[in-house]
Amino acid sequence: MAGEANKKQKREEYRKSLSKEQQKLALPKKKFYRQRAHANPFSDHSLTYPASPASMDWASYYPAFVAKNEESEYVATQPREDTLAVRKLSKAVEIADIGCGFGGLLFALAPRLPETLLVGMEIRTSVTEFVQEKIRAMRSQNVSRGEYQNVACLRANTMKFLPNFFTKSQLSKIFLCFPDPHFKTRKHKARIVSTTLNSEYAYVLKPGGIVYTITDVEDLHNWMVEHFVAHPSFERVGEEEQEKDVCVQVMRTETEEGKKVERNGGHKFVACFRRLEDPTWP
Amino acid sequence: MAHPYQCIQVCKPDPQNQEKWMILGACGPNVVSCISNGITAIWPMQNDRFKEDDPKEPPGKKLKLANPTEERPNVSQMLVSSDSQYLVTVTAEDKCVHVFHITADGHLQELTQRSMPKRPCAITLTADNSTILCADKFGDVYALPLLPSPEEAEVLPKPATEAAEATPQKTFIPAATPLTVHSGRNRKALEAQLKQATQQMKTKEPLKFKHELLLGHVSMLTDIAYATVDPQEAGRQPRNYILTADRDEHIRISRGAPQSHIIEGFCQGHQEFVSKLCLIKPGLLVSGGGDSHLFVWDWLNCQLLKRIDVKNRVLDFFKDHPQYIATLEGQEEINIAISGLWAIPGGESKESVLVACEGVPALFHFMITIGQADPDVCHVLPLVGNPLDFAMLDLALDGIIAVVSVDNVHEPGSTSSRRQGDRPSRLQLFKINSSERWESYSGMTETLQWFSCEAPGGRAAGGEATAPGQVTVEDMSAGAGEKVMRDLLYGVENLRKRAGADE
Repeated sequence: MAGEANKKQKREEYRKSLSKEQQKLALPKKKFYRQRAHANPFSDHSLTYPASPASMDWASYYPAFVAKNEESEYVATQPREDTLAVRKLSKAVEIADIGCGFGGLLFALAPRLPETLLVGMEIRTSVTEFVQEKIRAMRSQNVSRGEYQNVACLRANTMKFLPNFFTKSQLSKIFLCFPDPHFKTRKHKARIVSTTLNSEYAYVLKPGGIVYTITDVEDLHNWMVEHFVAHPSFERVGEEEQEKDVCVQVMRTETEEGKKVERNGGHKFVACFRRLEDPTWP
Repeated sequence: MAHPYQCIQVCKPDPQNQEKWMILGACGPNVVSCISNGITAIWPMQNDRFKEDDPKEPPGKKLKLANPTEERPNVSQMLVSSDSQYLVTVTAEDKCVHVFHITADGHLQELTQRSMPKRPCAITLTADNSTILCADKFGDVYALPLLPSPEEAEVLPKPATEAAEATPQKTFIPAATPLTVHSGRNRKALEAQLKQATQQMKTKEPLKFKHELLLGHVSMLTDIAYATVDPQEAGRQPRNYILTADRDEHIRISRGAPQSHIIEGFCQGHQEFVSKLCLIKPGLLVSGGGDSHLFVWDWLNCQLLKRIDVKNRVLDFFKDHPQYIATLEGQEEINIAISGLWAIPGGESKESVLVACEGVPALFHFMITIGQADPDVCHVLPLVGNPLDFAMLDLALDGIIAVVSVDNVHEPGSTSSRRQGDRPSRLQLFKINSSERWESYSGMTETLQWFSCEAPGGRAAGGEATAPGQVTVEDMSAGAGEKVMRDLLYGVENLRKRAGADE
């Protein structure tokens, strides 16, 4: 299709122009990165992911947080070729925004939690690229204050590969913001929240860690509440505590979808769940 | 022509008589059995529609059944309980789990048939033989009681969440309001929902038997193992674990029920699909799949102990047996796909595992040394056809006997070309000699004559066990039948992800 090719060409040209030096500070334009809002989590895709968390090269995502005692000085621009010897970070990633979309939540949280590493995970290639470009630009714009060094975005299918990125009990917060509702009953296994998948969220979360959920689809909200409450590793966080949490406020107002819902005058349904300690063996 | 045995199991059906053995083979849709006293049987006992085959007939020209019976589902899994009392089988096309009682005189009585929601890929039993763990194509593991309790037929206790999902709502509530932010697709889905609501609410029929969802991956499961680990401190209960492997390289270690929602860890390192798990002793796991190596794990600590090169042993085998080389030609990259792993009892210090690779007419017996630099010894056991399954029988007189099911239909070394010339027996037997090498064993050949050479199989093939010499026919030359058979026998390499998958 001519239209398609044209679009592709425009995007390529745009991306080329972004890599030029004078464009370093320019924020990427969303219109060149839009992608249909659904991806099939069961398909193979052509994903890159580490075989295990130990082989994940976090250092090229958080160059400012590379452990100081490593033998070599870090090179800011080029990620190292040999991924076998992975450079270590001085601290581990603690917050994951699963399905981060265009990254609104990440950019709002990053300056508020400057000492915590945040990662956005998104299954759509172009959307991931947008967030990565925006991180690059935001870092360049805020060089003096060193902001946005604690945020990164990568393409991943977390429903399959979450344990490839994070070790047991590594995370303190997981965000599931405005996930694909998958209305059809047949598609319910594709939902980001399910009895079986919640075990994986429990695995990567440390006891006391929180899963944050927000959606404008009441049906999905009820589904998420039902499935997290039914899972023995989680309890729902009380309303009072929930409303005091700054992350909840940010999630309501700063996510792209959150803003859209606001404009439409829609409802936003929030629920948070705390990871409980594992029971002793029977 | 006889269908090969895609699965083989052995057992000692009579607790009073340890010398009595029984071999069970899945042959297309049939389960064929043979006992040490020579009695044979076939399940299902069918209508006696069978035809005589002229054994001298050229292979290309086969009789076509006048009225092919409706296609019966092929048996894809087979498992005998550790007490030799029960046989569990899975039939592929109808996703059905069958349980049989094995009587002391070696007969099969079918007790139950339970149809699962998704196709079961692997089954195992808990250590007490009370529960079947069924791992399916959609990544879920269900627990089914081996024997359904009598009262269960009437009342069906269901987990709350599942009940909610399955119960049709009386009043239709749309999943979203018009205020919801939508993509075009979601809007369409919602419209379709509204339309459907005016018609009848269609809900999936809930399963009519007791089943419990224990855990799930978002990936096709390929194998499942159940392990019981003795407590380290006195006075504690032994710990049960469920080990699951999937097509996306994962090996997950979960607690056993009722804590199966707790993931203890992952054994990570595979770069390709995992197809087989084998616990060669309580703390030691061997896994294999599409990688060139076997992985040996201290699975309780999720630590990789070593990797063992299988691919080069396979290539060495092909070098030593140039007659099979032709099947390798034209392949840019030679991949191996591990289709079978079986623990072989060895001495105290030695662990050993027998390995089958899809389409390689040999078994590879690796002696594994842990914590030492010694290279792992590998003995190669050439076969007359590609190995399909393996079982081990411990006889008081002759020691350990290996029963190997071999493909008598395809050329050795190939998973697609039909065999030319004579077809070998469907079973090969070996025993371990005093120098711990495998040698051919002929002690049971006579008893197994009918089982290994004549027992009918294949779709649309019935048979009477009492009519030796009467070989049924099947129309295997038809393309569809051939494909079904190939998928049944050689499904492992198909698990490999193809380059250029969708975006």
